[in-house]
Amino acid sequence: MAVVLEVSETALVRSAQHGDRNAFSELVHIHARGVFNVAYRMCGDELIAEDAAQETFIRAWQNLSSYRPQTPLRNWLYRIAFNAGMDMLRKEKRILPNDIEDLNLNDGQPSLESQVSQQERTQLVQKAILSLPDASRAVLILREYEELSYQDISATLDIPIGTVMSRLNYARKLLKDKLEPKLLQVEAEYV
Amino acid sequence: MSNHVTEWLNAYYDGELKGKRLQQVEEHLAACEACQAELESLQGLSALLQEVPAPEFPSPERFATQVNLFLPQKRTTTPGTQLFEVGWWMIPVGLLAVWVFISTAALLGDAMSAAKNFGILDSTTASFISAPSETVEVTSTLGQFGMLHGNSLQWAETTESFTRGLFPQIILQVAVALLYVTWFAVWWARHTRQMNGPLLES
Repeated sequence: MAVVLEVSETALVRSAQHGDRNAFSELVHIHARGVFNVAYRMCGDELIAEDAAQETFIRAWQNLSSYRPQTPLRNWLYRIAFNAGMDMLRKEKRILPNDIEDLNLNDGQPSLESQVSQQERTQLVQKAILSLPDASRAVLILREYEELSYQDISATLDIPIGTVMSRLNYARKLLKDKLEPKLLQVEAEYV
Repeated sequence: MSNHVTEWLNAYYDGELKGKRLQQVEEHLAACEACQAELESLQGLSALLQEVPAPEFPSPERFATQVNLFLPQKRTTTPGTQLFEVGWWMIPVGLLAVWVFISTAALLGDAMSAAKNFGILDSTTASFISAPSETVEVTSTLGQFGMLHGNSLQWAETTESFTRGLFPQIILQVAVALLYVTWFAVWWARHTRQMNGPLLES
């Protein structure tokens, strides 16, 4: 099945490279969700992520002639998506949190304690991810959410595998340091 | 328990370890509670990250249609840009080929002059070759002071004449090669920037 997909994708890419817009639309259809998810994890905003995903495919169309089939198309698109996401954030002048300290845990009135606790946990984790340095965040997203191997992450971001490992170690350590005390606090408030 | 395997735990957890390293980590984990706890905390973190859902994506069909509307009408390059791209490659390649031809001819001329001086070539062949234009000042001076005699003087004169011809050639070749590498680096940087934009900074 994977082979069939690969073959048809290669054929679609080839047609798109010759200017076939329908073939390119098919490729957009195949990769839209993945690209959107990566952009969303990178910038934490649904609307910006959708714009970034759109921008990713426009850039891909404009530069399709320089794409080489030795690299999986998905990886090539993800790399453009990271850059498009960061460009969109800069354009929107959106500042990502440096830390999670300023998140007020008593926001809202908890009518259903467990539900609020869950919501706060999600907010905390989201904010902690966004507070990571861009390069470490990109590696973490590709590993945790897209489940790419170290080899694929290395190819996607054009960095050595050793750098993938060190950035991933750093990102996870930073997340643990930031989240563990906060999560204990959230849990204690609802006990 | 010493020699913890903390630095390899992430790779182990992600299933990226193989062979001896994998065996080493597994053996260590079986005996070390601290590393086991570290591994559990990695599992806990991953589970926590999965609690953050990605928002609902609008239908891929609608999205693809939307993207299609925004695509520039003509992606294919114009004849002008095609000509520029071809020129970008062909002009330096052509110049390089001309330069290679000229320097090869010059080098062959020098080599044949040297051969003539050593008496390897007969007079008929030698008449086609012009004598080396460079003066052999250093060798002549040494000869005048009696430091070189007979065959050694002749050999030294020939070598100097050959080297004098060769040295500027080498300098020229290195300069042209540097120019070519610079041109290629500029082209590559331009090409890469067009493709992906800058990489994420650390």
